[in-house]
Amino acid sequence: MQSGTDQAIGIDGTRQPKGPGVAKGLLKMRETGLIAIILLLVVVMSFASPYFLTWVNIRTVIMAFAVEGIVVVGMTILLISGGIDLSVGSVTALAMVIGGWLFLAGFDPWIASAIAIGCCTAVGAFMGFFVTKIGLHHFIVSLAVMVIARGICLLGTGGRPLGLYTLPPEFKFIGQGSLGPVPVVILTFIVIVVIFDILLRRTTMFRKVFYTGSNERAAAYSGIRTKRVIFATTTLCSTLCGVAGVIYMARFGSAQPTFGIGMELNVIAAAVIGGASLNGGTGTIFGAILGAALLSLVSSSLALLDVSVYWQDIIRGSILLAAVTIDLFLNKRRG
Amino acid sequence: MATNFKSPALAGTVAAVLSASPLAAEEGRSPIMCEPGDTYIMNVMVSAHPYWVPVYEAFQQAAAAFGCETVFSGTPDYDISKQIASFEQDVVRQPAGVLLHPMQSDPFIEPINQAIDQGIDVVTFAADSPLSKRTAYITSDNHAEAKFAAEEIVKQRGETGEYAVLENPGQSNHDLRVTSLVSYMEANYPGWELVGRQATNQDSTAAYRAMSSIVQANPELDAVWIPEAGSAEGAVAAIQEAGADVLVMHADITPTMLEHIRAGNVHMALNPNQGIQGFMGFVALHLAAHPDIFEPFNDYKTSGYNPFQIPFMDNGFAVITQENADSFDLNAYMKDR
Repeated sequence: MQSGTDQAIGIDGTRQPKGPGVAKGLLKMRETGLIAIILLLVVVMSFASPYFLTWVNIRTVIMAFAVEGIVVVGMTILLISGGIDLSVGSVTALAMVIGGWLFLAGFDPWIASAIAIGCCTAVGAFMGFFVTKIGLHHFIVSLAVMVIARGICLLGTGGRPLGLYTLPPEFKFIGQGSLGPVPVVILTFIVIVVIFDILLRRTTMFRKVFYTGSNERAAAYSGIRTKRVIFATTTLCSTLCGVAGVIYMARFGSAQPTFGIGMELNVIAAAVIGGASLNGGTGTIFGAILGAALLSLVSSSLALLDVSVYWQDIIRGSILLAAVTIDLFLNKRRG
Repeated sequence: MATNFKSPALAGTVAAVLSASPLAAEEGRSPIMCEPGDTYIMNVMVSAHPYWVPVYEAFQQAAAAFGCETVFSGTPDYDISKQIASFEQDVVRQPAGVLLHPMQSDPFIEPINQAIDQGIDVVTFAADSPLSKRTAYITSDNHAEAKFAAEEIVKQRGETGEYAVLENPGQSNHDLRVTSLVSYMEANYPGWELVGRQATNQDSTAAYRAMSSIVQANPELDAVWIPEAGSAEGAVAAIQEAGADVLVMHADITPTMLEHIRAGNVHMALNPNQGIQGFMGFVALHLAAHPDIFEPFNDYKTSGYNPFQIPFMDNGFAVITQENADSFDLNAYMKDR
């Protein structure tokens, strides 16, 4: 797809550099701006706090968003396809509760986890059915599922966290272990991010996600089965919530029915700051992860500088507002 | 080093250590005093809750007595992953120690153990993580609070009746307050029937809804026991709207609940001695960070543990009624501080 003589429409729907305009194009990319902001923050903080540029802090900052980052991957793909999922926190908790409940009932933790992830996939398919077959909006369906899933969590546990301290060490390893100095959680997160970033940038299958999100009707006319795409992205998002829930279960050694309340806001914020549009058709996994990293870095920096915890929400909200405003202006410029 | 002894008792303790320490005699300084920049952190969840204010105030007073610095940390949310992230961020700063209120016990086992392994002492307060390596735990005796509440309910309403409880499953101190009261009533006052039990998780809106339902379903309800003040705020509103004659008793205190006590809407509150909790919490933490100042008669040090360990320290609790409510006015307490 080409537009003009020196630019092409990229996979994420933005104008991409071609030939000598590479540097100019890079400057226009959302990721470049985010990387610049993050680097600036790192430089400033490395002078402001002796603890900032240490491996322990870097690991802490990444650990703070790594598992949630897996959900960010699913949410970003769903946003690109034009959908949204408000149930991610509840579905993540559902995975913890189902996995924990089955483990306490005598199931092998790996089998219990596989069933838990499968249940989350089924929840995603359930939502996808209502969106694509019944014609309801993602917002309403996921809002309903958010409440239903939370209710199931509370019902299944009696409102009490399930103590899973007896989980075998080999299972806890996926949440608490390290390979060398690097926690397994971070390695799992990186693997998932790299896989889906490559799939989103390089494969025809995921290219359809952008086309569907950009203009569903036009995509349908061009032969893309858009409802299948939306069904798949909705299901994928819930499945990744299941994966995150299992990792959280291993990390915390418990399953909490109230876990993940408000998670959807963090996840959507990260994706939008990273360049995903709430109107669909735009976004990258890499950008979304940079968005999550920026939010985590800001929290870490404020904590190291002894700034009140209440400033964190104000600054996080301000960053989100700035990102959405920039996105609006960029969209207007693109026409 | 400037030292501000606001507590005569602590001043005496410090003076005793000063005189007993050979190092102090050699250097003219007690090893129990902080080096410049030594910082202790108090980490909580729902950081805007007024419960923490007197705890942290006393924590600061104790720190000042030892010439130490303090930081208030945690998360404004009721979110376990956010609190753990904030705790791990605190540990990065290599503080002398962390006074921690763990939102839930098991998820904090590994983070606490990792902090301990890095040489950062952790003392839990008001809620515990008993399977972790934390060096001490300070709280009020939740069994004693529950027993006191049960006896007061019976004293006010007689040997028979109906009662309800609201709860906050997963937080150890709140769980104990509820389960102990229910067990005590079953064992000692079989004429009392538990007719309502709802999890409201410190959410006043959820408590309002739950209490409304309980009162409607049980018009003969005599009393309700609530393990924390956040839920009590919603529950009292529901009881007042229903016009029900229900004896309300709860643990902890907030400015709103204090006004309800003053107005007679709530019979009494059982409030852990927050000042003692914060002050002794700091002392426990500080001594854990300076275990070399004494030699306890135990094997912990040779076995690789911090010799200064306290499995449980009781900070006691106060009974708040209409008569003494003024002594628990947080705004008055914090004025000019």
